Amino acid sequence: MTALAFEIAPDLEAHEPPEARGVPRDGVRLLVAQRSSGAIEHRTFRDLPELLGPGDVLVINVSATIPAAVPARRAGGAGAVRVHFATRAPHLDDDWRVVEIRSADGSRPARLPAGERLTLRGGASLELVAPYASGQRLMLARFCCELLVDDYLERHGEPIRYSHISKPWPLEAYQNVYAISPGSAEMPSAGRPFTRELMSRLVARGVTIAPITLHAGVSSPESHEPPFPEWFEVPERTAQTICDARHGGGRVIAVGTTVVRALESATAADGCACARSGWTGLVVTPECGVRAVDGMITGWHEPEASHLMMLEAVAGPELLHASYAAAVDAGYLWHEFGDSHLILP
Amino acid sequence: MPLAIITGSSRGLGLALARALAERGWALVLDARGGAELERAARELGAITEVVALPGDVADDWHRGALVESAGEKIDLLVNNASLLGPSPQPPLGRYPLDTLERVYQVNVLAPLALTQLVLPRMADGDAIVNVSSDAALEPYAGWGGYGSSKAALDQLTAILAEEHPALRIYSVDPGDMRTRMHQEAFPGEDISDRPPPEASVPGLIRLIEGTLPSGRYLARELTPAEPALR
Repeated sequence: MTALAFEIAPDLEAHEPPEARGVPRDGVRLLVAQRSSGAIEHRTFRDLPELLGPGDVLVINVSATIPAAVPARRAGGAGAVRVHFATRAPHLDDDWRVVEIRSADGSRPARLPAGERLTLRGGASLELVAPYASGQRLMLARFCCELLVDDYLERHGEPIRYSHISKPWPLEAYQNVYAISPGSAEMPSAGRPFTRELMSRLVARGVTIAPITLHAGVSSPESHEPPFPEWFEVPERTAQTICDARHGGGRVIAVGTTVVRALESATAADGCACARSGWTGLVVTPECGVRAVDGMITGWHEPEASHLMMLEAVAGPELLHASYAAAVDAGYLWHEFGDSHLILP
Repeated sequence: MPLAIITGSSRGLGLALARALAERGWALVLDARGGAELERAARELGAITEVVALPGDVADDWHRGALVESAGEKIDLLVNNASLLGPSPQPPLGRYPLDTLERVYQVNVLAPLALTQLVLPRMADGDAIVNVSSDAALEPYAGWGGYGSSKAALDQLTAILAEEHPALRIYSVDPGDMRTRMHQEAFPGEDISDRPPPEASVPGLIRLIEGTLPSGRYLARELTPAEPALR
């Protein structure tokens, strides 16, 4: 891919939820980029029903964010760190987890040797067993506590927060209104601007809304490693809805990169989705292209994020460059609490 | 329900892999020399899936026949995991007892090939054979002449079998150092608690077993656990 060359000035970073800036969730800005015409338009997220029509399908990720960050101490007074619980460990029992170890304030990755045992807040312990899948940043770890991992995190964890977010926000700030299935370490944030009222207006407009689940792991913005495997489920009914839209001329719009990853992992060469669940290691690139989705709603991503390869697969290189240039020019806000981007075919 | 034969499956890597496959809906034929440990494993896994457990020695041809017969007409996976380290501590080759070496080769080289010969007629295209190898097959560690050369032979058998059966997936896999009884025997008296438990190698093994990677030699802990695409 031709690298997108831009820098995010600090004043383009959203440091807090829009509500804290006096803007409702659906009041964030929405840049609309149309692939067929190359047109770029500046709108507000709540205009979405006017931009879609009857027969279009919005596919949403109903995974809910879990409080996946926990403060921890190293053995022998070697200092404090922060543990980010990324995903379950594929094919192992529930107490096995894939984790990222970060500095005590969460601002940067910390490299710890395999074999170390950490003491977590609340008295649980975590054995760092081995590097995960030969990567540099994630480790396979075994959790030891009377509580199950999910119950423990609910009691003792906090939402994962990177350094661009200046202070902690409650878990609700990281929850989409339609999130029902806890399991994401980081918020599937493309869905954040949806409100109940906006969803009602979309339904009234004749837009179909179909769910998938993909439990998002950690992105750790410093690293440029491709995303690791994540668990997903595309239900039968959603697969059918997508196939019907394909045949009936409706557009399939994915709400977020997680939805694109799940749908593309469940889609055959003929573009028809199948009911499927499991772990996916799919990385969507311009070379492999997209088969299941016609467009997507997403946030604004870091220049080197692997997400940009996926966006290029959906939007094409010219439109993507034009979108990012327009967004930087117009002062769109970046990251999970920022503004939105709608890519239409 | 897919069916797997796993040798050496009463403890260590074999048991960890059997647990993961049981959870994933595989029927299992288990084998080990130790009857009591095998019975415990069979009871545990029998609560989740169909299990046949046969105590015996893979170097014994009657036992091998029984394993394959009890698996039935269709075998989807053979994991040759049972191996023999040799004497502990391991002697240098200059005074390695040849009768012991013969026994090491029987268990680590001939038995996997003999089982392979028995299962080949019961396998279909795409089925898999996984031979558990070691870095000692490649690296000339002093004192590892017996075990290491047997695993080198197993690697080469695996590679040639793969050429001869292009429709099957035939792997040799190095699980990495593990906190197992065999590893403790290899380092008698040493503290091996810094080695990862065998579970750390299981996600990579499942990728080999259930994925579509081409035949070859792999490092279990360097495999990404999921296929790049489920297409």
